[in-house]
Amino acid sequence: MTIAEPLAAKATPGNPVFVCDGVRAGYGKVNVVHQFDLEAAAGSVIAVLGPNGSGKTTLLTTLAGLLPAQAGTVSIDGQALKNGRPGIAARRGLVLVPDDRALFTGLTVEENLKAARGKHATTVDQAFDRFPALAKRRKINAGDLSGGEQQMLAVARALMQEPRVLLIDEMSMGLAPVIVEELMPMVRKIADETGAVVVLVEQHVQLALEVADRAMVLVHGAVVLDRPATELAKQTELLEAAYLGDVESVEAKAPAAE
Amino acid sequence: MDQHLVFLLFGLANGAIYAALALTLVVTYRSSGVINFATGGLAALGAYTYAFLRRGELLIPIPGLPKTVDLGSELTFWGAAAISVVITSLFGLVLYLAVFRPLRDVPPVGKAVASIGVMLLLSGLYTVRLGDIGITTEPILPVEPWKIAGANVTSDRVWFAIVILAITIALAASFKFTRFGLLTRAAAESEKGAYVSGIQPDRIAAVNWMISGAVAAVAGILIAPIVPLTPNLFTLLIVPALAAAVIGNFQRLLPAVIAGLAIGMVQSELTYLKGQHDWLPSSGRDEMLVLLLILIVLVVRAKPLPSRGVVVRPALGRAPRPRSILLPTVVGTALGAVGVLTLSGDWLIALISGFIFSVIGLSLVIVTGYAGQISLAQLTLAGVAGFAMGRLIDGGVPFPIAPVLAALIAAAIGVVVGLPALRIRGLPVAVVTLATAVAIEAFWFHNLDFVNVSGQDIDGPTILGIDLSARVGFEYPRKEFAFLCLAVLVIVAVGVAKLRTSRLGSQMLAVRANEKAAAGAGIPVVRVKIIAFAMGAFTAGLGGSMLSYFQANITFITFSVFLGLTVFATTYLAGITSVSGGVLSGVVGAGGLLAIGINEGLGLGGDLYPILSGIGLVTILMTQPEGIVGPFHNWLDARRRAKLADLQAVAVQALEGHLEPQEPVPGGDVVLQTRGVAVRYGGVVAVDGVDLDVREGTIVGLIGPNGAGKTTLLDAMSGFTRSTGTIELHGRDLSSLKPHQRVRAAMGRTFQHTELYEDLSVSENIVVGAAAAQGRDPKTLEETLELLGLSDVAEVPVAELSQGRRQLVSIGRALIGNPRVLLLDEPAGGLDSRESQWLGQRLRTLRDSGVTILLIDHDMHLVLNLCDDIYVLNFGKVIAHGVPAQIRADRTVAEAYLGSTHADQEVVS
Repeated sequence: MTIAEPLAAKATPGNPVFVCDGVRAGYGKVNVVHQFDLEAAAGSVIAVLGPNGSGKTTLLTTLAGLLPAQAGTVSIDGQALKNGRPGIAARRGLVLVPDDRALFTGLTVEENLKAARGKHATTVDQAFDRFPALAKRRKINAGDLSGGEQQMLAVARALMQEPRVLLIDEMSMGLAPVIVEELMPMVRKIADETGAVVVLVEQHVQLALEVADRAMVLVHGAVVLDRPATELAKQTELLEAAYLGDVESVEAKAPAAE
Repeated sequence: MDQHLVFLLFGLANGAIYAALALTLVVTYRSSGVINFATGGLAALGAYTYAFLRRGELLIPIPGLPKTVDLGSELTFWGAAAISVVITSLFGLVLYLAVFRPLRDVPPVGKAVASIGVMLLLSGLYTVRLGDIGITTEPILPVEPWKIAGANVTSDRVWFAIVILAITIALAASFKFTRFGLLTRAAAESEKGAYVSGIQPDRIAAVNWMISGAVAAVAGILIAPIVPLTPNLFTLLIVPALAAAVIGNFQRLLPAVIAGLAIGMVQSELTYLKGQHDWLPSSGRDEMLVLLLILIVLVVRAKPLPSRGVVVRPALGRAPRPRSILLPTVVGTALGAVGVLTLSGDWLIALISGFIFSVIGLSLVIVTGYAGQISLAQLTLAGVAGFAMGRLIDGGVPFPIAPVLAALIAAAIGVVVGLPALRIRGLPVAVVTLATAVAIEAFWFHNLDFVNVSGQDIDGPTILGIDLSARVGFEYPRKEFAFLCLAVLVIVAVGVAKLRTSRLGSQMLAVRANEKAAAGAGIPVVRVKIIAFAMGAFTAGLGGSMLSYFQANITFITFSVFLGLTVFATTYLAGITSVSGGVLSGVVGAGGLLAIGINEGLGLGGDLYPILSGIGLVTILMTQPEGIVGPFHNWLDARRRAKLADLQAVAVQALEGHLEPQEPVPGGDVVLQTRGVAVRYGGVVAVDGVDLDVREGTIVGLIGPNGAGKTTLLDAMSGFTRSTGTIELHGRDLSSLKPHQRVRAAMGRTFQHTELYEDLSVSENIVVGAAAAQGRDPKTLEETLELLGLSDVAEVPVAELSQGRRQLVSIGRALIGNPRVLLLDEPAGGLDSRESQWLGQRLRTLRDSGVTILLIDHDMHLVLNLCDDIYVLNFGKVIAHGVPAQIRADRTVAEAYLGSTHADQEVVS
């Protein structure tokens, strides 16, 4: 296979890179996310929002294959991924930045990046170019970094694998708002520059909506809102209703998205 | 000084083999989470293969094939060594691919049991194929007399240690500097991190298993000229090697290897010191040293072994509740009696031996199956009773007082064996009990100060003039003795079945499932563990007494640790979590009916039996966590379920409710009050000076974004985490109380991820919580079921319930203890909005019945409609407090939830 093919696929509009079809997620017999459908084109940023406990993390964990899906398929470039196989998903370009970051805390920053490089062309120096703050800390153990630096490292490590789809879970967890504001535009930049689809689960709703193309709101495991981010950003009352778990009034005010 | 040095250096050979085995233990554990008890078997494979190659023969350890293939000529050292290392390393790979990779989602305990299976298999193979005769080889390392600092030593020992150290340094360097080493370290840090980084942990583990095999082979080859090879030479060397690996925390190569060398040297020095100081025991010094080291490191540090953060299945299978005790007892007793009456000769011996080992198997059901503590010392405890009984009989204590007293002595020792388990849990308990068993065997059973060279004679039991001895003259085995053993087995089996249905049994299962949650239900975890060890040891002691009567003369061989591991493996294989499994363990165990059946029926040598059990154990682990009896239990379950079909329909019915907002009730006096409660983890302040009042008869909500400190605050209130500030319940300061004491002081609590016992009914799950009401009246079961609307599903196993009802069951468990305040952590977790409203209705009913509730939940709709008073937490501080309408209107709350828009607006506070 030549390199031209995926690039061509990327360029063709209406040819979604990332497709989730009827994904049902949960633990054992317990179902958490009832149904999740998504078609995303290269370079797009999708914000997945919703109150705590609505199933966002379960969803991303499932999409990445760390948790077997209860139903449905996840495909990249039209090819379905094997269910529940995180290693295969990562090698096919579906890379998760988990909410606990899952860094190799006893390894240095540089080693974390090298470990994830695989056979890809991206070098550690390129990663440091993108995240200059990390370059200064290259010999420091990942466990000794500040929260913001750890988050950068988690994203940088994911980018070493040249992902086609990047799933980022709760990037701002435990971070000061100033740091979050610094990190958020980086997400947009990654999508624009690498052409990766970015799926972003985020607590800071307004900040997420500023960088996203499209937003989906999950409440009790069901998608209750799905619309362009700019549109939703203006509908504060709808968002608040969703966050307060008031599904009825969301449904009343917002006819199902097309 | 010279003599000390001579002995210290002399110990280098043993030290080097411990070090090498510790090295392989660390390498395999780090990469695959397996404590490989079969490591010694790998070393033996390398050593034997090398020894035969040097004679010009290729060893084939598989039964049925020719034992060796003649290669025509003897191989040189390098040729033989290279081939042995490659073969052993490939065998390591096969072990990983065939056994441990399929078991990769099994918790470490299961993997360790599998490795015990492999150990038995290998040792069985060597015994069958090679016999017990020692095999020696030509010296490899130069044997010269050296003088080091005035001490005379032979150089081969020093060289051996140097070679192992060199290998370690080379390995450590390659883990440090190569890409493969980097990936190994990465995967060991976080398996999840490895997956999301495109690393394949399986491949990394496979290569590490090959490295382990190679290192083990080198150690085996180098020890071969120093010590003659026998099949079990390496088996129990695992214990000092484990001590060394523990010192390296199963992570670090060099500390583990240095510890291994040091243990060997100190053991040798102890031999010298014994000559100088009479008070040192004449036997068991080495083993006590190892035990001491393990205890110091594991118990004092009291940290779990490093885990690799992977989601795992529960460690043990279900422990199904016996439906009826009478019928199985009558049928089982009748079958046993028919067996005794009809069988004779070898068959009767096998039957009696089966009865006895069933009793010992049942002791494992108590300790491991019910209470979840992996004890590898049960047969040794049986031995304690056996030897103690010998002394008692010599002193004139008659039957049946002697065996009961002996079993009580075993129970006392059993408690001591179990003491470390109060501070540690999981795999380290297995390591500690194994080391204790080895130490007891060496210090007591082998000790000529306590036991004659010819062993301990045991006179047969007589009662009321009736001779119950196993042998009288040439009459052996006598049916009288068989009936005695059957009677003991029946009593023990009924007792263990009763235990399972008793409150104590439920408490043991609660401890097994989750110690924290058990304490949260008011169960005194420490006491339950101690009782489990005592009861288990008592039962094992009864078995040991019977075994001693049966053999009439006992030695350390009767109760060897190796045999003890076999008994553990057999019981696990038969089903360690149920009475039926415990009883079956005697039938399928070595020397039992199945073994003799296979032996006589199929004409296979009895030696093959350990091999078959090894294969059986590994297979069972992969397919049936409940053991051989698992499918039978499933079948019973299916029948039971068919009967419950109607109830089941009720159980899965969608629960829908609608929660009407109500005027908040003001409530009575303050029941629960916190002032300035703070929790710090290291430098992080998770809860920062919280003042909170909960009034009688109200529902108070505690909300806030992820990571706000809500659960931590609940943990502080219920005593699961250390905090500063005051927490008062009805004016009584709780600060100094342990969790289960707080529960008993009438503070009930549920957990976010409640562990229910899937195979137990709703009632049984709830009854576990009744322990909380000690000193107060518990609510009755009926009352609790009624309040929660669970009466119609009381007998349904919780596995059949919808998520909503499961949440109610965990609330019921806290409620039955009749708490003044009920703390609920995310009761609506995993519910959809309609179910959650239905739950709200139930909680409101509960409040109206007089129960005060403090709840955390993320379902804002539920909280805002249900609660009378709400506290909002963010970054560990209360940012808002008021009735729902106030909270709804509060802008700071909305911002806390939806996150900041821009930092500059945030800085205002």
